[in-house]
Amino acid sequence: MVLDFLQSLSEIEIVGGLTLLSLFVGGIIMGVGIIIAKTVRLLFTKYYAPKLSQDTAKNFGKIIYFGIIIIAFLLFTSSTGVDLSGLLVAGGIFGIVIGFATQSVVSNLISGVFLMLEKPARQGDSIELPSLNISGALLDIGTFSVRIRLFDGTIMRVPNESVFTSTIRSLTSTPVRRSECVVGIAYKEDIDAATNVINKEIRKTMPFVLMLPKPEFRIKELTDSSVNIEILVWHPREDWGEVAPKLLKVVKKALDDNGIEIPFPQRVIWNAKE
Amino acid sequence: MSTETSESAFSNYGLYTIRDNLELFMPNTEIKIERMGPNVFSYIRNDSESNLVKKIIPVKSDQLTIEISPIRPLNYPARRTSYVYLELETPVFLSENSAATIFARCPIEIGVFLVHDGHKDSLDCFTCDPVNSRFALYGAPDSGTLCKYAHSEIVESYEDSTPYIDAVLEINLQNELDEGHSVSKIIFPIFDNSVYYKDSKAIIDSIEAVLKKKLTLEVFDVSKKSIQTDWTLSPSYVRDMVVKSIDMGVD
Repeated sequence: MVLDFLQSLSEIEIVGGLTLLSLFVGGIIMGVGIIIAKTVRLLFTKYYAPKLSQDTAKNFGKIIYFGIIIIAFLLFTSSTGVDLSGLLVAGGIFGIVIGFATQSVVSNLISGVFLMLEKPARQGDSIELPSLNISGALLDIGTFSVRIRLFDGTIMRVPNESVFTSTIRSLTSTPVRRSECVVGIAYKEDIDAATNVINKEIRKTMPFVLMLPKPEFRIKELTDSSVNIEILVWHPREDWGEVAPKLLKVVKKALDDNGIEIPFPQRVIWNAKE
Repeated sequence: MSTETSESAFSNYGLYTIRDNLELFMPNTEIKIERMGPNVFSYIRNDSESNLVKKIIPVKSDQLTIEISPIRPLNYPARRTSYVYLELETPVFLSENSAATIFARCPIEIGVFLVHDGHKDSLDCFTCDPVNSRFALYGAPDSGTLCKYAHSEIVESYEDSTPYIDAVLEINLQNELDEGHSVSKIIFPIFDNSVYYKDSKAIIDSIEAVLKKKLTLEVFDVSKKSIQTDWTLSPSYVRDMVVKSIDMGVD
């Protein structure tokens, strides 16, 4: 009965020698191909991916999956006996039309490939794209877009092309980082005494500030009301949040505790005697 | 097993078996362990900065055994590195092809371990010297090594450690170069170095530091050397981390 059914399928011709039976066999090949691709990718992810870096493992997984799918498709076309040469000619013309229409899609795809090859940052790294005003942790470089988890917890999808053509600042690729702040002291105050008390307070209350390189103090500017001192401290890359947002508070406390004036702009108006 | 306090003002390292309650005093730190129920104890640690750590410990038997011991200084203020940067208070000058052995102080932290069924589980760790527990960078900001920093004093023997603050480390220095050099700092991975204690004193496995030439570079090669001692070996608190030795450049 099954043979009769298959016989009947082979007699139904869809187009140019392509019968329903060959399409059915091709469908089975594609189905089996997809199952094999998924199984191989699953095995790879389970047994080999943990030994590789996260992004390399992900890229290898994609290559394996789509490689098997392409092979299955080629088997499918050869089993059905479909002549693709006509399709290729038509596809060439169609491709130009589609190419113009999907320029940005192709651009994102190619940018994604280059991003994967160049690896300007690894998965999990904190990055900043100054031109796009984006800062966050790099989650994934995908086929068409990059996913970034912003510091406010939301996830942003950025097209690969935008990332590839942007300036990328990696915030976690070096072991340490530097944070700065500027504070103004009154002209009457002793600069050395001020930097000394700030240094002591930083040393006492900021455990993540490095002993070496030592905190640095620079006279930034002599402004109308104050002598501005720039304070530069180094800290482990992971501990920016423990240092940068707290630095000014610690500096102010040190100056307040030691009676060093932080001036504010003042204007003295002299009225002429009538 | 041990008594609660030693003759000094501070408690000793060692095993403590608690049936009802126990108070331990260390520099800037106080630990209280109290029975809450038939098989439950509470653990409270208070430090000079008013930081409070509280834990509830259910136990199978009617008593609790803990071990207080010195551990490697890798946990405070956060676990960021396995390297220690010892800046020697007084640099040691080594003339050409000479060797010297010194004892230097190396910071430690304190580990509290829960002892049961032959296991020692990490319960808590802290430092009694938080103001001096800081990091430093050896090398350039883009490629250097983050280290735990300590200003290290050279001492006479293993007996000279400061209780709960530091341990003594033997450093065997050797200069294989054709010219003299001053050694003012030593950077080494401390993860492999075991810590030992007796009463309130602590020592750490030795290190061998050799000034030598590798190709055209003069390097300071530092490696660990286990010591034979009858002092008690401290349990390991830190997690397994893969580290490799680094060659220091010769200044």
